[in-house]
Amino acid sequence: MNDELFLNEQVKMVAVFGDGLNPCRPLKFRRTNGREVDISEIGLRHPTMQGKRMLHVFDVTDGSADYRLEFDAERLTWHLTREADHV
Amino acid sequence: MYNLEPSLIMHVDLNSAFASIEQQSRPMLRGKPIAVINRRTENTVIITASYEAKSEGVKLGMKFKEAAKLLPDLIAVESDPPKYRYVYRKLLAILNSYSPNVVMKSIDEGIIDFHGVPLQKTMVEIGYEIKKRLREEVGCAMRCNVGIGPSRFLAKTAAGLHKPDGLDVVDATNLRSVYETMKLTDITGIASHMQRRLNAVSIFTPIQFLDTDAVTLQKVVFKSVNGIHWYRRLRGYEVDDRTSDVKTVGRQYVLEKRNLTHAQIAARLHHLCESVGYRMRSQNKVTRGVHIYIRTVDRKYWHTCRMSQIPFYSDKTINTIAQQLFLKAPGNVQEIGVRCYELTNNDNMQVSLFNDEIVREQQLVGAIDDINKRFGDRTVHSANTLGTGGFIKTKIPFGSVRYL
Repeated sequence: MNDELFLNEQVKMVAVFGDGLNPCRPLKFRRTNGREVDISEIGLRHPTMQGKRMLHVFDVTDGSADYRLEFDAERLTWHLTREADHV
Repeated sequence: MYNLEPSLIMHVDLNSAFASIEQQSRPMLRGKPIAVINRRTENTVIITASYEAKSEGVKLGMKFKEAAKLLPDLIAVESDPPKYRYVYRKLLAILNSYSPNVVMKSIDEGIIDFHGVPLQKTMVEIGYEIKKRLREEVGCAMRCNVGIGPSRFLAKTAAGLHKPDGLDVVDATNLRSVYETMKLTDITGIASHMQRRLNAVSIFTPIQFLDTDAVTLQKVVFKSVNGIHWYRRLRGYEVDDRTSDVKTVGRQYVLEKRNLTHAQIAARLHHLCESVGYRMRSQNKVTRGVHIYIRTVDRKYWHTCRMSQIPFYSDKTINTIAQQLFLKAPGNVQEIGVRCYELTNNDNMQVSLFNDEIVREQQLVGAIDDINKRFGDRTVHSANTLGTGGFIKTKIPFGSVRYL
């Protein structure tokens, strides 16, 4: 069955805002327990509305687990909302 | 004999769409057998499987627990509709950039009609370009099949020839040789029931189907104009360039537990009525009939319906009628469904000159729909359905893009 962990953890993020098809690229984030996660690939980014607020949902991986990060475009915050590994 | 027109119809079909999107968004799932399901229970049915799972015998519609016995490593992933809608919109944007005549047949397949469009490249080149753009603009794990032909039917047939990631052209020059490689049920629109009907007149292969004359198909096999349509369709003439109007709107739900009380089931029915009403109004339709059905635990089917003389469209009216009908329903309910039929356009609705209540109801329903559209599905709903949203979730509709 599904092995995802559902979270709502605010994280500190290093991201690059540039141009092209994917102008926002999260690079690495630090979790509340201090662990740093280097993002090796962005799987998919899709926008979604939460009420009037726009959230950008990034499904990413560090090569050992998949993570879902949500960027709140109004509050400018990043949250880790899912974590899954399939080992 | 066959349609000799140039091949200007392109059919684009995402391969195992939901599973591919999951593998795209979660790179750790790539290369692994995954099954996309709608609910986190073992009795749930698989709605899409990745190619890795399909190659091990996992089929769509199979119960997850049966598939897991077949393939213990199978990973279940719950469907994520916002993600699929996003990819659908990306695919639509790519297709729209080639022609103004694009029709999406479902969430994962679309048709581009290049008639009247000045072509800078060949159709095959455009097909490969679409595949490349899909990988660049959505993700490297996304693959699609492209079929090119002089008609929608031949283009779809071509798109199904080499899965995954194929590109084929079927036209007058090769359609016969393509039919030679197919079974009757490989033809779009021919399922087991139609196969039996064709077998009854000694048509066992697509080639025999192709070689049957129009009169036999019309008078003997189909006993309707469908026979002529099939005669022309198989030869590459366009007969499927039609849009159908919405005739019914419905929704069903398999109960999450067996021992729910009548009131709990009625609340879920109310939720379904709200969902159906919202969908119906989003299509600018009003209804005159409500139909409900029950499937019991011992697989018995019960249904009833009621027609009204005056059209209506509010959730309250739909629910009132459905609840009255539900009073007569048998026990041991496993699945419940509601459907509105006899739909007409809302513009044709006659409002009584002396009935302020109807006008007030129209305004209220319109305001609630506006709020829900702006702030999200079910921001405002009836108090009776407060707890039901956790069970009855909005899922991706198959076969139609009306509600995307």
